[in-house]
Amino acid sequence: MLPFLGIIQALGLLTSFALLGTRSKGAGPQWLAFQGLLCGLVPIIMHADGLTTQVVLLAIGNIVLKGIVFPWVLLRLRARAPYHREVVPFIGIVGSTLFGIPVLALSVWLALRMTPALKHAPFVMLVLSIFLIFVGLFLIVTRRKALMQVIGYLVLENGIFVFSAIAISGTLLLVELGVLLDAFVAVFVMGIAILHINSEFGFMDVDQLTALRG
Amino acid sequence: MFLDQSIAAMLILPALGAALCLILSRPRHVLTAIVGISALQLVLAANLWTAVLGGHGFVTAAASWLYVDAFSAFHIIVLALVFVLSSVFAGVYFTNASSDQTFTLTIARRYGALWLGSLAAMTLVLVSNSLGIMWVGMEATTLLTAFLISLYPNRLSLEAMWKYLLICSIGIAFAFMGTLLAAASLQVGSAGETAFFWTNLASAETHVDPTLMKFAFIFVLVGYGTKAGLAPIHSWLPDAHSQAPTPVSAMFSGFLLNTALYCIMRFVPPARHALGEHFASGLLIFFGTLSILVAAGFIVFQRDAKRLLAYHSVEHLGIIALGYGLGPLGAFAALFHTFNHSVCKALAFFAVGRLGQEFGSHEMHAISGALRADRLWGTALLVSFLALIGVAPFSIFMSEYQLLRAAVSAGAWLPLALFLLASGVVFVAALRHVIAMAFGIPTATVRVARNGSAAFLIVGVAMGLLLLLGLWMPLSLSKAIGSAAAIVAGQP
Repeated sequence: MLPFLGIIQALGLLTSFALLGTRSKGAGPQWLAFQGLLCGLVPIIMHADGLTTQVVLLAIGNIVLKGIVFPWVLLRLRARAPYHREVVPFIGIVGSTLFGIPVLALSVWLALRMTPALKHAPFVMLVLSIFLIFVGLFLIVTRRKALMQVIGYLVLENGIFVFSAIAISGTLLLVELGVLLDAFVAVFVMGIAILHINSEFGFMDVDQLTALRG
Repeated sequence: MFLDQSIAAMLILPALGAALCLILSRPRHVLTAIVGISALQLVLAANLWTAVLGGHGFVTAAASWLYVDAFSAFHIIVLALVFVLSSVFAGVYFTNASSDQTFTLTIARRYGALWLGSLAAMTLVLVSNSLGIMWVGMEATTLLTAFLISLYPNRLSLEAMWKYLLICSIGIAFAFMGTLLAAASLQVGSAGETAFFWTNLASAETHVDPTLMKFAFIFVLVGYGTKAGLAPIHSWLPDAHSQAPTPVSAMFSGFLLNTALYCIMRFVPPARHALGEHFASGLLIFFGTLSILVAAGFIVFQRDAKRLLAYHSVEHLGIIALGYGLGPLGAFAALFHTFNHSVCKALAFFAVGRLGQEFGSHEMHAISGALRADRLWGTALLVSFLALIGVAPFSIFMSEYQLLRAAVSAGAWLPLALFLLASGVVFVAALRHVIAMAFGIPTATVRVARNGSAAFLIVGVAMGLLLLLGLWMPLSLSKAIGSAAAIVAGQP
């Protein structure tokens, strides 16, 4: 089980760094799709010795939504956007990638602190989940495009999903279903919001939403 | 007994009502439907409340997935009351809408469906025993209410909606992390669905890991605290409250914030078992006092009446959080204050909303002579603002007085001093604002409509409740609040 998880961790870190460093059209949703797929595999590997239909169905649901549906929605939104070049984010591409390195160290340190309490959680996955949460938050805060902020939100969501798969033993069908449904609706709500903003303002740069203050 | 069906009915009724609103053929029918369904919800809530208080202290249904005790029953009744008042007000407000905000059939259907949908979601939060399902309900309220803010899409409302959606989604994600950590902190019998059950987590026999519970509580406090509008993570709140249509602002301030605070309070008993008396209450006192201070600072400089009320919400939610941190006496004051604040804030928003329509702006300098221009809503404005800043004999004065007593008996001198200081600042600043709005000569452009019986009814009920509870607290209500306080703060 551990070698598989090691590979997933390596690829998961790779997708996060790719998302931090991307500025090209459409690459964001594609890296996100790959990351969603990887995260969806984690519960199957965790329960490999006693696989139940519940676990399999939930994993498939996650992979379909996060690996296919969400990136597809984002790509569609991307196609309707009027701009054709990426504007430089608040923190540049090099700065963002460099941000990843100390944060990875911080994630390892936090994971070391948590391991004594979470005995059956694999260390590599703990690091990955904490790292994804940080990267998601960073993307939301530093990106100008509403679309990249939604991607950041979904990276954060992936991190929490990995954490729930490793930290809680046993499956929580009803809760997991509810969470999945909420994520599903959230992406559509955010998508519709972006379309509204787009048609009203003619752009999707969130940094121009500054009329309300104080 | 048919009580377990009645809990289920409280979830199904608004959900069905939301679907019904989508097929109604007149805007007026939608407005009638939401009043009818929230009134039925209030009847069911009152029935449940009496059953909980008269019986064993709790009611469960659906194999313990649904669980209502005195604490949740109290919140359910406040929720239903605020919804009835706001639904009646929605009829008054939308039929008087200005020409650029016509209440068309499309908007009416969307409004009705989202309105009743968020009622269902908030009820789900309050009746869930599973902390996971409670989280699902909370996230659903965020998603459903987002489009209520931008019911009339324009630049400002879309900006407010996007900020609300994003900031609260992050907050809610943190809260979920906290919920997971709390479930992971169960050392014994952690397998299976019951790991998330509040009854399981809060029971004295359960052993939880203190480190994980500490992380869990911090995540939950920051996460749900974002939604509750606790400073310094309240930044979405004034934007959303000022841009949403007024009935929606009233519901946000009157109850949505309380729902989030309710979620935090559900984690306090397990945190107390694992970490001792002072950890959770210390954090609540800190965030409560900070919110009161920050809000007081902003209230002084406000120009928009709805933003002013939004900062008042930050202040009062801070007062409630502070009360919860001060032990059993404080929890009693906090719960009483929850009720008072919800009714009073709803009334204040109603008044500002209608006067804003009549004066054509929510800017405070545009509103003057409200008492002369419109006697009913002018009086409502004056009374609700006076009550809000703690003038006797209204009930907020009583709950704040009880809070002071709780702070003295807990020996919390510093929070007490800061609370008094901030209340003094708010008192002077808000009084200055309201005197300018209520008295004086009305501007020439006022467009006053005759007020119907519905308007008189809601103003009368809300003012009556504030005055009555300020003068006299019925013994049964005091007992009900006492047993609710005992659940989150332990026996006095």
